[in-house]
Amino acid sequence: MMRVLVIEDDREHATFINKVLSEAGHDVETAYDGANGLAMARDREFDALVVDRMLPEKDGLKLVEEYRNGGGQTPALFLSALSDVDNRVEGLKVGADDYLAKPFAPAELAARVEALGRRQSKEEPPVTKLKVGDLEMDLLARKVWRQGQKIDLQPREFRLLEFLMRHAGQVVTRTMLLEKVWDYHFDPQTNVIDVHISRLRAKIDKDFDEALLQTVRGAGYCLQA
Amino acid sequence: MKSGPFAFVRTSTFRLALVYSVLFGLFSFLLLAYLYQATVGSLRAEADERLDAEMRALGLAYNAGGLERLEQSVIERALVPGAPFRYQLETPDGERIIGDFPYLPVSPPEPVGEVRMVSLSIEMPRGNGETVVTEAEGRIVRLANGNVLLVAIETGERGRIVRRITSAVTTAAPIGVLLALVGGIFISRYAARRAEQLTRTTEEIVAGNLSIRAPVQGSGDEFDRLATHLNTMLEKLERLMAASRHSGDAIAHDLRSPLSRLRNRLEEALLSPMDQESARETLASTVEEVDRVLLTFNAILRLSRLDAGSEGRMVKIDLHDVLEELAELYEPACEDAGLTFHSDISQPIIVLGDRELIAQAVSNLLDNAMKYTPEGGTIRFTARRTSDSVVITVSDDGPGIPEHMRDKAKERFFRLDSARTQSGSGLGLALADAVAELHKGHLDLLWTQGPPEPKGLKAVLTLPRDK
Repeated sequence: MMRVLVIEDDREHATFINKVLSEAGHDVETAYDGANGLAMARDREFDALVVDRMLPEKDGLKLVEEYRNGGGQTPALFLSALSDVDNRVEGLKVGADDYLAKPFAPAELAARVEALGRRQSKEEPPVTKLKVGDLEMDLLARKVWRQGQKIDLQPREFRLLEFLMRHAGQVVTRTMLLEKVWDYHFDPQTNVIDVHISRLRAKIDKDFDEALLQTVRGAGYCLQA
Repeated sequence: MKSGPFAFVRTSTFRLALVYSVLFGLFSFLLLAYLYQATVGSLRAEADERLDAEMRALGLAYNAGGLERLEQSVIERALVPGAPFRYQLETPDGERIIGDFPYLPVSPPEPVGEVRMVSLSIEMPRGNGETVVTEAEGRIVRLANGNVLLVAIETGERGRIVRRITSAVTTAAPIGVLLALVGGIFISRYAARRAEQLTRTTEEIVAGNLSIRAPVQGSGDEFDRLATHLNTMLEKLERLMAASRHSGDAIAHDLRSPLSRLRNRLEEALLSPMDQESARETLASTVEEVDRVLLTFNAILRLSRLDAGSEGRMVKIDLHDVLEELAELYEPACEDAGLTFHSDISQPIIVLGDRELIAQAVSNLLDNAMKYTPEGGTIRFTARRTSDSVVITVSDDGPGIPEHMRDKAKERFFRLDSARTQSGSGLGLALADAVAELHKGHLDLLWTQGPPEPKGLKAVLTLPRDK
């Protein structure tokens, strides 16, 4: 469970976001304008901020910028109807961690907020090994084993698996994979991602009893021991 | 334009004509002044020269034999019939020693030896006994013994020429200025008429008539060039207007069907009592339908931004990497769909472009190829460099697009009848085309396999290389 602050002036929208995140098991509070939102983000402890870009009193970009300049560490996600690549870049530049264009699927929002929460803080030493159940990954040697058996992966498969392992236990959507693994911000019309997932699944799950890589219907995928 | 009794003063016709005539008048004046100088001036110089020569000859006589010889020489010369010069030699008291004049027509200088130039009128006898007053030019000098000597040459000829030229100038100049004014008006009326035609054309355009064209006279002058450019612009504008009208219709048309499907589904759900499970299913499918509509909207937005040129950050990129990534992304999906996928990307391919947009354009071409290639078919994805561009081709085994449909196929929402059953927004090729244009390249649609049995779509995206 995460404590999430939603800063959104449109009441109906705020209620919808609130509901989506509550159903995903999070504890949600809402601020309806920028100034109030910034004050709440500073005064109270949250695990994630969900910020609309266009807000009364103080717009979203400014809010996140001031929050970061004041030393705020909580990961933030922008929600915005402005979906240009330029807008996205602006958002990430002021210190947001993710950017989601409106309208969005509930599963997409839930997955992205979930992914935010596990952000590694800057003080921790960088991870060199990942482990999910009996699946192990060495990030330096770029090698993968399951139950001690070495698994050969293509570079892209390696990056795909790395992303899934870093978000083990969380739902990861196709769009997230396209954005984070391929760095594409458009959706190909064909099921290219599904095919890559099934190739990867064939390598890590096929010869083993327990399947780690699950398909979450209507949402995406989840790697879980 | 304001009209009034003096409105014509503001027209460029009038101003040009005025400038023409003033310039013409000035030039005529200069020309006539030169003519005057060249004729009259040279006549005068000639007279001066002859007088000076005569004075020099008399001076030689003086040097050889003193005053006596000089006076003798004058007397001899004055008596020669038909000589061009007139002489007068007088005593200091004004008594004539010898000469052609009854009295000295000009007052002599006092200092001895000083030669003075004089202009005078003299009475000349004519053959019939009459005398004629004519102009003359002379030299007068007081000799050492006090006598006065005048030598003159008739210049009446010159006066006549001067009068003729002057009268020619005074009659010709006004006529010239008048002709210049008329000519100026005529020429500038022509220019103004051409300009007026263009003005009328643009007025018609403003009024909404885009099918009008500016008249081209075929002389190839500036007006013709302007008219030709205007017409080219109009053609482009007309095409764009038609396209935007068409795409407005098409957007409405394209979105009406999913929205009415949606509405029907919701109505149906309202009418029939439903258990929770089927209610959920209905809602889920309506959400899917709405998502499709939204996807179309996003594509439309992206296209408009591309058209407006507000999208795209051009940086130097190696297309080899971008295209290899796409090949790698699509190859497994093609294999799963039972298609053979060949890719051949040369390297490096440096272009100035937007990676995301180029990737999306090529991804649209690959999506299309996958959609229309029947199972067992082959998709070829290649990129190679030419001297100044990069040629990216995606060719498939599908039905292809007939020649006469190719331009239309790149328009928004256009879908071949055979493609209507396939999913898709009808915006894929339009977007690829817009991306090509943004990069100053072009998208061509060809047959994969040429006649006699043409088949397959070969989409060729050509982008300029960065050098």
